[in-house]
Amino acid sequence: MSFRRFIHRQDRDRDLAEEIESHLAHQHDANLSRGFSRDEARRRAQLKFGNPLAVRERVWRYRSVPWIENAWRDVRFAWRSLRKTPGFATVAILVIALGIGVNTAVFSVVNTVLLQPLPYPEPGSLMMLMQTSPQGSFAAASVPEFNLWHHQTAIFQEVAGYDTGGAGLNLTGEDHPLQVQGVHVTHDYFSLFGAPLTAGRTFTAEEDSPNGGHVVVLSNGLWRRRFGGDPNIVGRTIQLDNEPFLVVGVVGRDFVTDAPADLWLPYQFDLNTQDMVHYFSVAARLKPGVTVEQANAQLKLAADQFRRTIPNAIGPQNSYGVEPLKQWMIGDTRTPLLVLLSAVVLVLLIACANVANLLLARASARKREFATRAALGAGRWHVVRQLLAESLILSLSGGLMGLLLGYIGVRLLLNVNVGGLPRLGENGSAVALDVRVLLFTLAMSLLTGIVFGLVPAISASRPNLATTLNESGSRTGIGFRSSSFRSFLVVSEMAMALILVIGATLLIRTYLKLQAVDPGMDPRNTLTMAMSISGSRFQSSAPVEQVIRAGTERLKSIPGVLNAAAGNGLPMQGAFGMPFDVVGRPKGNAPFTGGAGYYSVSWSYFDTLKIPLLRGRGFTDHDDASSPGVILINETMAKRYWPNGDPLKDRLQKAPGAGPIFAEPPRQVIGIVGDTRDGGLNHDPHPTMYIPLAQMPDLETALNSRVAPLWWVVRTNVDPHTLVTSITTALREASGGLPVAHIRTMDEIESLTTSRQRFNMLLLTVFGACGLLLAAVGVYGLMTYSVEQRTQELGVRMALGAQASHIRNMVLGQGMVLVLVGVAVGIGSAFWLTRFLVTFLFNVKTWDPLAFLLTPLLLSAVAMVAIWIPARRATRVDPSTALRFE
Amino acid sequence: MKRPPEAGDVLQGTLDLLILRTLILGPAHGHTIAESIERTSENALEVEQGSLYPALHRLEDRGLVSSRWGVSENNRKAKYYQLTAKGRKELDAAAGRWRRMARAIGLILGESNG
Repeated sequence: MSFRRFIHRQDRDRDLAEEIESHLAHQHDANLSRGFSRDEARRRAQLKFGNPLAVRERVWRYRSVPWIENAWRDVRFAWRSLRKTPGFATVAILVIALGIGVNTAVFSVVNTVLLQPLPYPEPGSLMMLMQTSPQGSFAAASVPEFNLWHHQTAIFQEVAGYDTGGAGLNLTGEDHPLQVQGVHVTHDYFSLFGAPLTAGRTFTAEEDSPNGGHVVVLSNGLWRRRFGGDPNIVGRTIQLDNEPFLVVGVVGRDFVTDAPADLWLPYQFDLNTQDMVHYFSVAARLKPGVTVEQANAQLKLAADQFRRTIPNAIGPQNSYGVEPLKQWMIGDTRTPLLVLLSAVVLVLLIACANVANLLLARASARKREFATRAALGAGRWHVVRQLLAESLILSLSGGLMGLLLGYIGVRLLLNVNVGGLPRLGENGSAVALDVRVLLFTLAMSLLTGIVFGLVPAISASRPNLATTLNESGSRTGIGFRSSSFRSFLVVSEMAMALILVIGATLLIRTYLKLQAVDPGMDPRNTLTMAMSISGSRFQSSAPVEQVIRAGTERLKSIPGVLNAAAGNGLPMQGAFGMPFDVVGRPKGNAPFTGGAGYYSVSWSYFDTLKIPLLRGRGFTDHDDASSPGVILINETMAKRYWPNGDPLKDRLQKAPGAGPIFAEPPRQVIGIVGDTRDGGLNHDPHPTMYIPLAQMPDLETALNSRVAPLWWVVRTNVDPHTLVTSITTALREASGGLPVAHIRTMDEIESLTTSRQRFNMLLLTVFGACGLLLAAVGVYGLMTYSVEQRTQELGVRMALGAQASHIRNMVLGQGMVLVLVGVAVGIGSAFWLTRFLVTFLFNVKTWDPLAFLLTPLLLSAVAMVAIWIPARRATRVDPSTALRFE
Repeated sequence: MKRPPEAGDVLQGTLDLLILRTLILGPAHGHTIAESIERTSENALEVEQGSLYPALHRLEDRGLVSSRWGVSENNRKAKYYQLTAKGRKELDAAAGRWRRMARAIGLILGESNG
């Protein structure tokens, strides 16, 4: 009620003014009729009414809401007082902007990855289906398992299978062929994820059964890019790998998939197959009211039943379960993000301590102002309120600027590197300013304003009137209490900065260690690219072999190319896994001798990548379908499975019991090659085996061509980027017109495997630098202030004959005591805190002696420089001016 | 803003009471109200015009009177006040309080004897 009056009082005042006008006019009329002259009538009317402004003021005041009125006055007063000291205000706002900026940046990433719901309807009930075992769980499925899960209608509303990477397809039939990302899905996929449609429809169940025909659903992006948004696209036929596909629909623009997709094809599973190969993922929507625990219990029953139906399909300890889709996508990025968020909160705390210190200095310089105001009747609460208004203006301006800084910063950062984080979109495009980020920044700003404003405000509001007013000017400085509080602030700043810098040092050391890891091949001057061979032409091994032979020949004839090879995978990208048996070796309890990474490669693969041959012989181009089966293993596999024996005397049966696709006779181990780091530089090499591409069973090649592209690798003796055109042309000519995509150097692939470490290192280094800078500014500010306050004392000392060097060392000593206390506290805290960094580290201990020795030295050195400046100023005090200094 | 009326408020509320009483005759603008109070009291009560408008606005905020702009008998723009139902009730209550007060004062001054 009173609030509404308050808001409308401007209008109401105008109304009242008019009303008074009217009243005066009526009185004037009455006076006229009583026979007064015009002037007299007006004069009497005004006399009788009194002062209209006084009346309006009375009504105005009665309409006001005191606290808003007061707050507004405080804000205006604070604004004026800040404008009088623009230097102080600028420094304070910049410091806060820095602190809040880094927080906004990290929070916007945390928001996108961890907080935002998945962009699908009712995302909470979407689950990923997992293979579980005592060793852990992973998301993968075979057709019989998909079929099994599809039948669990008691717990699942919908179940859909889909690729998460795929081989890529060649969109042909136009001027230039284009390699596109085609995702295979079961027909439930679109309704499961609530995909909106721009045109047409999605697949029917019939189209998703064997011999369902060639149909395709286009992504909105491909439809606009390649087909110019043709409104009549539905019903048209497009060419994929030179075969006609009927377009049945176009998906809406807003449909987001985590793995990018240009088009979708129906899987057309034969549900009767007993083929147990895992080559796709399955997601499902829980029925309303079904919990994750209920689903897991039901799936465990289903696994037992499955084990009885298809013997040996899954191991005795293997089972199935669900994991919420969002949780699965976030994966193990949660802890690192939260650690980063804690690190930026430290930066903000340092910034707060800094501004609090500035405010304290300012407040003590304004002691007389407050005392005067108190003497004139301002209450204590009044002074606190006004100082809080000042700090809130500072923090909110800083927050606004920080929001801008943070947003630009996170954009720049993610453009360089998304750090292997999920859900961020291409180059972090999914990171946006939403309400949550805005609220976060606002809350941070208000909180910091109160945190750094309250203590100075309270200490300033406790003046001793008589002494303060009697003191001459500001020379006596701050009392012991607030001076020790300021020292406390500087000590904590130092400690927090040290924690940050130690963290950053550990991550830098980790990164350097990673760089020093031998990748097991020579990544320099090596270009790689993917060729999709998903067409019907490549359903057996011979035509693939032909393309490889022709391609290798042509590539080698390009000047600057030293060697070329192909394989179904590349080092450091992760390989397929494959079980194997050593022929004649007893298996014990396990179903197989073991499992290993598995590549099929062309004969020149090892030479081209410079993976060393350690024993035996490598592949030659005579190891083809007509010659006996051979296999190479890596050093790790040899050491693990032949700790005492000689692998070259053994034969391996790969994929025992995996079904007809993989059926083949055992292969002779012919050599041992060096290890490559296929799980990334920070993982130990896996056991890995290699077979010649030319010796792949036809059915396996057919499956392979569907799920993975053919990777080419070319070694050059010049910068490989300069040869891209001639290499892609040569490959197109050699393959009968197939395009290549994902053109990258091996160096780039290597750096991708460490992108998360680089991301963390980059961030923590930036935070550490911010913290260091802020802490240095903090100690500089405190010492400068203290020197200023003690001008008179220093003057007396000089007058009594103190040496300049003595004075300098005194100031330096006082400053460094604070720094060293801070360093000691920091080392102690870091010792405890770095344990949270353990997942970030590689070959570096959390108490890495180098980090714990060098970092404090660095910090002390920086602080020393920051103190040196005021210390030198102290020696330049002129005794005669100092003694007169007022 | 709303307080229960107390004895001490009676005198302060006098102007309110007089305004409400005047308005029972029908809608009127500020000048008419002032004149009417003065005339009816045989000029014994001269309304301090500076207080009239704050009082009117306070009454309006309390919902005892409503207002609208109109044209006066002099053909001038004027703001007309009108008693609301709530205002009528308040008038009765305030008049009762006033009478009791007047009687009490009268008793003390010994008027009933004279």
